[in-house]
Amino acid sequence: MRWLVAVAWIEELIREAERSVDEAEVYFVEGTSVSADLKKKKVSLATRSQDCGLGIRTIHAGRIGSSSTNDPGQWRECLKAAIASGKLATPQEWEGLPGPEHQDSPALTFDDTMKIEPGVARALLDQMIEGASNHPAEITSGSAGLSSIKVTLANSHGVRIADRHTSVSVSLEAIHGQSTGFEYDHSWSFDRIDPSRVGERATFFASESAGGKDIPTGDYPVLLSPLAYAELLGTVFVPALNGRNVHAGRSKLAQSLSKQVADPGISMYDDPHLPGAAGSTRYDAEGSPTRRLDLIRDGILCAFVYDIRTASRYGKKTTASAVRGGYGGSPSIGHHNFVVDGKRDTVDDERVLYVHTVIGAHTANPMSGEFSVELANAFWMEDGEFQAPIRSAMLSGNVFDLHHAIAGLSQKTRTVGSLILPSVKLNKQHIIGK
Amino acid sequence: MSGISYYDLRHVTGEVTHIDIDNSVVESAGTSFFNKAILRVLTGTGWGILQIDNYTPCSGRTFDELLERAARLARITEENVRLGDVPRGQLAVPPLKEDPRDVSIEEKSSLLAEIEKSATLPGIVNRRAGYIERTEQVRFADSSGNEYSYEMSRSGFNVLAVASRNDNVQMGYEREHSLDGFNLRHQQHLGKKAAEIAIALLDATAAKGGKMRVVLDPELAGVFAHEAVGHASEGDLIQEGSSVLKGRTGERIGNEFLSIVDDPSFHGFGFDPVDAEGVAVTRTEIIRRGVINAFLHSRESLAAVGNGVAGHARAMPGEPPLVRMSNTFIENGDSTKEEIFAECKNGIYLAGSRGGQVDPGRGVFQFNAEYGYLVKDGECTKMVRDVSLSGDILTTLHGIVLCGNDRKMSPGYCGKGGQSVPVSDGAPHILLNDAVVGGSGVD
Repeated sequence: MRWLVAVAWIEELIREAERSVDEAEVYFVEGTSVSADLKKKKVSLATRSQDCGLGIRTIHAGRIGSSSTNDPGQWRECLKAAIASGKLATPQEWEGLPGPEHQDSPALTFDDTMKIEPGVARALLDQMIEGASNHPAEITSGSAGLSSIKVTLANSHGVRIADRHTSVSVSLEAIHGQSTGFEYDHSWSFDRIDPSRVGERATFFASESAGGKDIPTGDYPVLLSPLAYAELLGTVFVPALNGRNVHAGRSKLAQSLSKQVADPGISMYDDPHLPGAAGSTRYDAEGSPTRRLDLIRDGILCAFVYDIRTASRYGKKTTASAVRGGYGGSPSIGHHNFVVDGKRDTVDDERVLYVHTVIGAHTANPMSGEFSVELANAFWMEDGEFQAPIRSAMLSGNVFDLHHAIAGLSQKTRTVGSLILPSVKLNKQHIIGK
Repeated sequence: MSGISYYDLRHVTGEVTHIDIDNSVVESAGTSFFNKAILRVLTGTGWGILQIDNYTPCSGRTFDELLERAARLARITEENVRLGDVPRGQLAVPPLKEDPRDVSIEEKSSLLAEIEKSATLPGIVNRRAGYIERTEQVRFADSSGNEYSYEMSRSGFNVLAVASRNDNVQMGYEREHSLDGFNLRHQQHLGKKAAEIAIALLDATAAKGGKMRVVLDPELAGVFAHEAVGHASEGDLIQEGSSVLKGRTGERIGNEFLSIVDDPSFHGFGFDPVDAEGVAVTRTEIIRRGVINAFLHSRESLAAVGNGVAGHARAMPGEPPLVRMSNTFIENGDSTKEEIFAECKNGIYLAGSRGGQVDPGRGVFQFNAEYGYLVKDGECTKMVRDVSLSGDILTTLHGIVLCGNDRKMSPGYCGKGGQSVPVSDGAPHILLNDAVVGGSGVD
């Protein structure tokens, strides 16, 4: 991350905007990415993309407008559209965009050794294929991707931040008879992924899950892998901590500040400065300096997350939690590196129903937290070993309630998107057999 | 150009207008612009693909350089891709009853606000309404001399109502999307319906899971067809070996009266005048009278797999075409809704969709209803919430024992490979025997 030498057209855009509106913000992304896809064991296609996008946000008398385009040459039209958009918005309290904080520091998620080349993607695929050959399952599809982008954030208070990010990702799907397996890995740093292990795990789960047996309906101790836990946490629990949902009446946790919302052994926090983590950043998407934010400490809810818009409206301070999914629209409230932590233990010594992933978590009720999902790659596990696979069953429950039933967190953690999670052992969860 | 056996270019420009109203506050409203292209080049070893933001149409040497850049990518590929012979032609885009672009954004905003306001009822703690309008100008050209261009405008809205009492939070959600014109007028009843459902759900009980008889409403039965059959019939999945329907053409999978169709030529929300590879679109009967009949294909999967129909390749602007569903439905049978409930006798009625998911290789799917009712002696009784249904593709369809005669389509979006495309799903009311229902309720 560094202060940038002024880009002429961005400076002109901001000057032009200041004639009509109180404040303006420019978010400009340029980048390139390469990917290669497998069809069965063969590389069937290679793609290169050139990405470019401009997002403009204007604020005038508390009215927030925005527009975006792929064509920076059309910034005048885009600015006009953003200003017009602001005229439609309901005015709100507005604390103002941040000013500059002089700090010149290296990028946190940029790997300058990463080559965005098809040959590199091909080599990643080859390593996955090799790893996959350890188990008797067939590869059905796979992908390897590399990308490098440059993000520029500038505003009319003098913020000029240029940051670079790289990313590398690999994924593989495999099948053995009618039993499937999937694995993936991603990072900003080329050396932090292990394509061979991704291949090995994908064929392992496909072959190991074959010949599963049904189980009777009942209550069982369940061990959710980080992947399965991430699905439920991300669909229900994380949105309930979002300040906008809280104040709008869309969060079950709205009245729970200072209350017990999880087992006392559980803490959750967003740490934007975690070394090596994919979401690490010194500034959020609005240019506010980031810091660690404790959300749940020893099971007690201690904070919600805010961007400037929502904080201004409800008399709070931004928690520097603004994120952007791309250059379009306005920033929204999110997190950088969301960590679930607590006392770590051995969670797989006693007999437990291990759930690797679930199908249909996005259909959970985000308000009440109720869900019923189909299990995928589920096993009986004991003494740390995968034992009998389970053919098919559903797990039903409530995401809020299950946080009170947490019996242990695994030693190991895994990054799933922007979530950093252990495996979670739960007492007595309801399983519907077939 | 040496080594290039085929190429195509799909360039899409357009604009997106949106309005977001949250508890009477216009959070944001306005217009954004996009310009994206994708150039696919096929060489003797596979595809090289360039995705280009902000594309400027070009010809001569400049275009040849793009072709060469794409072809160079294919140096790392190793598959001998063949493309099937396909019918050509483009359908007319259905005329807009009212062009959304002729309506000022101020008027759109006030109409949406009316819908949002109509979700006001005692007990409702949050109302939110969104409008989205997307106009695309699509230009397609390939190395065989096929050229197509068209403009399409899709627009629609959704309204959410959240009800809260004590520690209980429930929601009602309604949506309507259209490709035949502006649809925000006279829709307040949907805001009211969302609010009524949210409030009613406060008193609903969690369903008790287990095997039972289920009546699905047309919307949910449409999602069932989409998840349980549609995805598994996609030719690219068949080609990879990740569908349980692979090699089962001609096998009986359901009763004689069951036919399931995907039809991109049908004027539903998933309509395409021509597919993303420039192939003519046509109705495809995936299941015909209970028998697996035809897979959905791209040119590549048609050549590799056969047993089906091309014209089902779809893509978001600037993204590679994938085999996708469009308008997917269970054909009408001859039972009335009353007969279906009478035959169900005791079971559960499930309505509305919160979406679903499938693992086509394993043949297992799951989907979730917005709400439901216990059925006792053929009558809907107590309301239940948070009910989902899961099943095995190869066995569940036999469980459809009655098909109604009241098919209705519902618009939505479907995700695959990181791309989301407009679709519609539909069905008549259906009766499903021995369905596995998930819910956290206990006796």
